[in-house]
Amino acid sequence: MRPTLVCALMLIASLAVAPSASAQDARLEAAKKEGKVVWYTSLALPSAEKIAKLFEAAHPGIKVDVHRTGSERVMSRLMQELGAGIKNVDVVHTSDAGHFVVLKGKNLLQKYTPPGVDGFPAGFKDKDGYYYGLRATVNVIAYNTKALSPAEAPKTWKDLLDPRWKGKLVTAHPGYSGVIATHVLALVNQYGWDYWKQLAQNRPMLVQSAVDPSGVVASGERAVAVDGGEYTFYQTKKKGNPLEIVYPKEGVPLVISPSAITSFAPHPNAAKVFTDFTFSREIQQVMADSEGLYTGHPDVKYPTDKPKLSDLKLWSVEPEELEKRIDEIKKRFVEFFGA
Amino acid sequence: MRTRTRTEWGADVPGVSLTAVTLRYGDVAAVDRLSLEVKPGELVALLGPSGCGKTTTLRLVAGFLAPESGEIRVGDRRLSAPGRVVPPERRRMAMIFQSYALWPHMTVAQNVGYGLRFKSGVSRAERDRRMTEMLRVVQLAGYEGRYPGELSGGQQQRVAVARALVVEPEILLLDEPLSNLDANLREEMRFEIRRLHEAFGITTLYVTHDQAEAMVISDRIAVLERGRVAQVGTADEVFLRPRTRFVAEFIGRTNLIEGIAVEPDVVAHGPLRLQVGAAGLTVGARVTVSIRPHDIALGAPDEASGRGRAVNVFRGVVQRASFLGDAVDYQVQVVDSDVALRVATPASRRLAVGEAVTLTVVPDGCVALPDEARRG
Amino acid sequence: MTARVARQWVAGVDRALPVWAAVVLALVLLMALPLGWLVWMSVGGAAGATLGHYAQVARDPALLAALWNTVVLSFWVGLASLAVGAPLAWLTARTDLPGKSVIRSLVLASFVTPPFLGAFAWVMLAGPNAGLLNVLWRSTTGATDPLLDIFTMSGLVFVVTMYTFPYVYIMITNTLLLIASDLEEAAAILGAGRLAVARTVTLPMVAPALASGFILAVLQALALFGSPAILALPAGFHTITTQIWALFQYPPKVEMAAAISMPLLLATALLLLVQKRLLGRRGYAAIGGKGGQRGQIPLGPWRWPALLGCLAVMACAIFLPYGILAKAALSRAWAQPLSWSNLTLGNFAFTFFEYSATRAAIVNTLELGLATATIGAALVAMLSYVTNRRLVLGHQLVAFLALAPIVIPGVVLAVALFIAYTRPPFLLYGTLAILFVAYLTKEMPVGYAQSEATFRAIPPELEDAGRILGAGRLRILWDVTAPLARSGIIAAWCFIFIGVIRELSASIILFSPATRVMSVVIFDLKEEGQFGAIAVLGIVMLALTFATVLLVQKALGRDVLGVREGEPPPRPRRADADANQNGVGS
Repeated sequence: MRPTLVCALMLIASLAVAPSASAQDARLEAAKKEGKVVWYTSLALPSAEKIAKLFEAAHPGIKVDVHRTGSERVMSRLMQELGAGIKNVDVVHTSDAGHFVVLKGKNLLQKYTPPGVDGFPAGFKDKDGYYYGLRATVNVIAYNTKALSPAEAPKTWKDLLDPRWKGKLVTAHPGYSGVIATHVLALVNQYGWDYWKQLAQNRPMLVQSAVDPSGVVASGERAVAVDGGEYTFYQTKKKGNPLEIVYPKEGVPLVISPSAITSFAPHPNAAKVFTDFTFSREIQQVMADSEGLYTGHPDVKYPTDKPKLSDLKLWSVEPEELEKRIDEIKKRFVEFFGA
Repeated sequence: MRTRTRTEWGADVPGVSLTAVTLRYGDVAAVDRLSLEVKPGELVALLGPSGCGKTTTLRLVAGFLAPESGEIRVGDRRLSAPGRVVPPERRRMAMIFQSYALWPHMTVAQNVGYGLRFKSGVSRAERDRRMTEMLRVVQLAGYEGRYPGELSGGQQQRVAVARALVVEPEILLLDEPLSNLDANLREEMRFEIRRLHEAFGITTLYVTHDQAEAMVISDRIAVLERGRVAQVGTADEVFLRPRTRFVAEFIGRTNLIEGIAVEPDVVAHGPLRLQVGAAGLTVGARVTVSIRPHDIALGAPDEASGRGRAVNVFRGVVQRASFLGDAVDYQVQVVDSDVALRVATPASRRLAVGEAVTLTVVPDGCVALPDEARRG
Repeated sequence: MTARVARQWVAGVDRALPVWAAVVLALVLLMALPLGWLVWMSVGGAAGATLGHYAQVARDPALLAALWNTVVLSFWVGLASLAVGAPLAWLTARTDLPGKSVIRSLVLASFVTPPFLGAFAWVMLAGPNAGLLNVLWRSTTGATDPLLDIFTMSGLVFVVTMYTFPYVYIMITNTLLLIASDLEEAAAILGAGRLAVARTVTLPMVAPALASGFILAVLQALALFGSPAILALPAGFHTITTQIWALFQYPPKVEMAAAISMPLLLATALLLLVQKRLLGRRGYAAIGGKGGQRGQIPLGPWRWPALLGCLAVMACAIFLPYGILAKAALSRAWAQPLSWSNLTLGNFAFTFFEYSATRAAIVNTLELGLATATIGAALVAMLSYVTNRRLVLGHQLVAFLALAPIVIPGVVLAVALFIAYTRPPFLLYGTLAILFVAYLTKEMPVGYAQSEATFRAIPPELEDAGRILGAGRLRILWDVTAPLARSGIIAAWCFIFIGVIRELSASIILFSPATRVMSVVIFDLKEEGQFGAIAVLGIVMLALTFATVLLVQKALGRDVLGVREGEPPPRPRRADADANQNGVGS
């Protein structure tokens, strides 16, 4: 009698501890019944579409509705929809960490921890378990190799303030892009708002998305991009465009892009399956390989033709600070740059 | 005579009576307490200048407009009264429009046969028969398959006539149907319409601004001025015995002389004394006298003195002479007077400008306008 | 017999009246409700009505700068459109210019091209560094500075003018065709040369139409969103429309947007009033004469230079932009020369198969286009019939309301609809319905003007003739009116459809991720710099537009610009300002 009881207790204990395969299957079944997951993301369009296609191939029966726009717009849309009582989105993913502080504070996120994130660095994890960093990139300088030789190219952030760059620069906009919002704040923390005031004197071309500067520089429309997601420059360069990246030695602003499931998700199971998928080692590896992204996953190997995160001096920005100062960032940027 | 009250198809046709009908557009009265009786089977012309209200009156009778006051009866049915108008489709009338209003997307046969669709008891075969027969009557047999755009103006007009007559209406309304035709065709069609009216005998209202047309076509003419009937009567009556200045001037040309009645049958204008045809003038009243140009005879200058006691004989000097081919149109200044008279004579005799003449007017040719006198 | 009488009575006006009344009511709801909310919002405050929002606008230098930029843009576009459109109109309407029909077709193409596509194409042509024209310039002359910089106010004026001058062209052409040429021949006989005739006789007679055309062009420029967003923002300046849009980014400052919308609304209303006065109550410039025979003024040695000039204009509006769009659609990298290695169908593949938003957007656009055009055409047909035949009391009010939406720029309309319909009881935000309402309201004037002209051309006598013969009102509608009005109503359908598929300024505010339309997707792609995909979608949009234009031409049997080749246009008997020219835009 007593051995059976012990066995039974152990069985129950083991059931309670490990996430059982059958629970996973049940969720997958439920997800298939839901049929789709709605994903609001600021990840560059081709990358987002690629991940969506990979997911659909691995999970037939579940479609991914990709809605891609700049981080700030994603937030805007989401809040507007909520204001009208529309509950459309399952998974929200932007590059403005401050958003998630806000969303968490408003109880709009669901607590969910995908497997495997324990090994992620601290900056990639919300201590309360509502959101996790899906990917990361850094802001860098990039230049067109047909217009400038490596010697002529700017080396530091402050180099860009030189009047000889007047009319030759392009910048993206913190009002649209979370990557840029983070970047602006990081540089404000380093050099104050005077930096941006001076940079504006060089009348850079204004684009919206952090993805855009790579196209502008590659086409030769402007010679130098003063910010932008490094992963987009990397991809553009790999495609054979005449573009080179500069990683300023004094520091590069790190942008960690969190992902979370909404508390009102209409397809919660599909959302969880999708989240698991995107945080899995395979997909994180895909992000590193073909999309040029950095990740928090400890087992991911990175391409050898670009620096690792550990090689760079990283400037971080606290999500809470970003959230508090986002209005100021947008306002002053517009003040200096005009639009 | 023209007192037929039965149509060609043997039905009794009603007359139309308008009683004090009024319709205003803003401040202006288009039709102002207009009253008119059209006898059964009669063709009455509504004659007047543009803006006199004749088309408005016609459309009131048709039921497209509603009167503000007064009423319109057809036979013993009251069709229009303020606020209560029987819609056009139930009035058993037909109308021929100035523009013919033929439907361009329908053939001649479909145009003509259209109204027959709404007559009860007419089968498809019967409809076709009547339509073909009517086309024969208007001399368009064989044109069934043509479209209005392929027809000449005169042919279109005949289609419009056929379309109106084939439904055997009680009342026929015509709105200047000849004004789009050239002069020769117009004259020809006048007689044609008169012939059709005598053949079919439908009570008809005919709107026109052309007095010659009215005189040829109608049994009686109603002369309209500013929304009211100035005078209604036969062609003879309105021409020879106009009652107002307006009627006198509108029907044919005339000379108008204003004066004071010095005797019951004499009107004086300065030194001129005119003996008028009808006695009964109020002495001392102001009278307007109408003299038709062709009622004035021109004679040699010495005739005046030779005729001592003759009435309405004046001396004059020719001021202007226009040769018109079949007549001569003179303007003669009466000596010792401010009056200049228009005179029309046959072309057999031609006087030169500056010649002295004698003018003679038969008393019957001097018409004292009675309604003008009342207006004072 | 009594049954038939009863049926006829029921089928008569009495039953039709509630239908008309309902239609009028719908009109009031579409227009009055959102506008009311707009005004309310602009003066609404926590403590009741306040002018605080207006005060804020007046104090904010950025907003004032945007206002000023808008004024500058509109003014110069107006002048430039006159400078381009009027001579072109004179040349094709009055002289023996060779290739007239080709020029007219090209102007038509420019008329229906969405300005934001043109702006986008010109970025590729005249971006100061990578723009192909500048590259060509630099390589042939060895200069380092660019020839053209499209990211400037002048660049913006240029691009907008290219797609606005057709309005002036149409207005002047129609006016010129009404003038009998013997007036000019009289001057010529007295010894005036061609130019002198144009200057001293023709010009004064078309002066009201010129002024009116100027106003039309100004109105179009005022309301544009796409071109300023593409050309002004990168250069660092706003116009009112882009500013309003910016105010809608989260958190949306709706009250400010409402407050800044009001001056735009008032300016538009004022300009339209002036234009109506200029044209007088007769519609087109009141000119006597029968508008009959038109002799052609011989250009002599100026023929070919004139033609070259026209073609140069059309090159800027059509050849170059369409060419570069085609190139971008087929290239891997649009800025690189067109070589075999650069050629690809990848953009098509990406747009239609890889980018999930595209197909949904095309479906949405087509759905909305079909729905708006069909319901809109039916609505305006009923409305214009009611007003034309004066069936209801206050039909002038109905006509006014049907044309009133011209006054509201698309962005402002969107703000108003957003305010009205993102709250109970009518929660339409996030659905296609709110876009439908916006499109219907915005395109109604165009459709109304067309259907109004259609019914005006059907003499009421045609219906009277049927009624007196025994047909009831509805029967007549079916037998007589509908067949004759059919082609005109089809044209109205097409105008509405074209307007919907290219609409951007209202869509950009009212769309939600699930209800994107093609123009919005193009705009999104622009923000990511996906030139190839933009070009592909742009080509699809243009293809749809031209297909519809061809349908119109077939239906009407004549040029959609309003004139049958070689014939004077039908004279309007009674005309209000021709909203056909005011309404098509984006």
